[in-house]
Amino acid sequence: MLVLGIETSTRFASVAICSENEVVASYELGRGRSQDEILMPAATRMLADAELTWSQLGGVAVGLGPGLFTGLRVGVATAKTLAQSLNIQIAGLSSLDVLAYSVRYGGRTICTCSDARRKEVFWAFYHPVPGGVQRITEFRCAPAEHCVNEIEARGGSMLVVGNGPHLYAREFERVARDVDVAGVSDCTPRAVPLAELAVARLLREDSDRLLDVKPLYIRKTDADMNWEKIKT
Amino acid sequence: MIAPDGLVLGIETSCDETAVSIVRAGREILSNVIASQDELHAPYGGVVPEIAARAHVERLPLVIDRALTDASISLRDISGVAATRGPGLIGALLVGYAAGKAMAASLDLPFSGVHHIEGHIFASVLEENGVAPPFLALIVSGGHTSLFAVGELGSYEVLGETLDDAAGEAFDKIARFLDLGYPGGPAIDKLSKLGAADAIDFPRAMVNKGLDFSFSGLKTAVVRYVREAEAKGVNLRKADVAASFQEAIVDVQVIKALRAAQERDLRTIVIGGGVAANSRLRAKLAAEAEAAGVRLVVPDRKLCVDNGAMIAAAGHFRMSRAELTPLDASADPALQLSAD
Repeated sequence: MLVLGIETSTRFASVAICSENEVVASYELGRGRSQDEILMPAATRMLADAELTWSQLGGVAVGLGPGLFTGLRVGVATAKTLAQSLNIQIAGLSSLDVLAYSVRYGGRTICTCSDARRKEVFWAFYHPVPGGVQRITEFRCAPAEHCVNEIEARGGSMLVVGNGPHLYAREFERVARDVDVAGVSDCTPRAVPLAELAVARLLREDSDRLLDVKPLYIRKTDADMNWEKIKT
Repeated sequence: MIAPDGLVLGIETSCDETAVSIVRAGREILSNVIASQDELHAPYGGVVPEIAARAHVERLPLVIDRALTDASISLRDISGVAATRGPGLIGALLVGYAAGKAMAASLDLPFSGVHHIEGHIFASVLEENGVAPPFLALIVSGGHTSLFAVGELGSYEVLGETLDDAAGEAFDKIARFLDLGYPGGPAIDKLSKLGAADAIDFPRAMVNKGLDFSFSGLKTAVVRYVREAEAKGVNLRKADVAASFQEAIVDVQVIKALRAAQERDLRTIVIGGGVAANSRLRAKLAAEAEAAGVRLVVPDRKLCVDNGAMIAAAGHFRMSRAELTPLDASADPALQLSAD
């Protein structure tokens, strides 16, 4: 089964095609043109270069974040419409879960930590399990030092992945010595592992309903936050 | 290129309506589905961009499905895709625009990113309206108040526009001030029927000066009037305030539209945009146009508000001229309507 993966939850945009046993194609861009501009040309180009047609795709996978809202919506709206137009399965996966999955081999606890703008980060903790990772917390959204506090409170050997520790290097300076921060090549969610995980899900027909596929916002809209302030 | 009788699927998500329509041959509407978000924005008294964008992402697939079902066709029958490219709220725009590109690319169809205002102008080309240029277009909505001379389709000369608030914005703000609820336009329209339009003589700004509009002075005048009346303990009839405000805002538009038509010797006026659904504007413009011997084309209310049919019609026109939008063109919240 060929699955097109779309990951746009950070500024780093990524599109890939995977099957059960290979990575067919991959496109990644970290600066310059917007996701809205590059997404469909990249997908079209990859299919053409791999000598494939749209009708050969068996599914589409999309990273749901949490992450930056505008990019997320471009990716999610694109993926949903592709699934609808081509009448194929869709799987929505958390971008942070995918990020943890790609660094699962160390046997340590993993903390994913990604930029949420407004001086905040999204984060979650994972345990490696056979064949993957298991998220052991909810997603949180707060200033980076709250994430660092939680890392310290948990203690023990840990790997932190994501652009959060790189953006907030000063806050992360004080983490213990047995806490490692993954380098930049592992710090952004990518479409390749996303598509890989989705192939496994879609092969067992564990797909999502189109209606249920929506970004993981975690943070409420400003209007809702102001509204609650007014009410209380 | 697209066949003259081809079916175009049009997507509009530039503000707070999730809308999809199927149009044949650029004028025959097979379906026109509009999912309003009024109930989501009503508590805030205006459109909240983030809420609008979130709702578009959730609802768009359903609205597309419904448009296909209503038209009794499948996606295989479509020969082109159009989506609003701008102007509008960027977060909202991107949802429908990204979806349109994805649909067109994956089905190997031509794609057109449509200017929202060109869409409103094309509302009068649809169905039995069937108007042909030259004509004058008055486009009034929550985001726009503009007069265009349309010598031919695809070529729009701006004759006048608002220097501050759009007319629809003024309706919403006054409705909020008078505590009439949201959306403000229909609320004021309804209440005005119970009031006297000549009860209060609110200013008609710049009525004798040029073809541009200004509504902020009118808004201030209404607020001041109500505050002073309250301070004096005068019994205030909200219906009179609403009716008098509406009359003032309608007057300016009617007078300027007719003057523009006269100056340019245009014998047809078309109106579009959400405010064109206002019953007083429709009635007064009809009466004045008839008196002046000018033909007035008033699209159905469902074609005045934001809708996918007008986007499909404008998209069909552009694609029939082989003007396709490349997949790497971005949505543009401040897209300009070119005069060529």
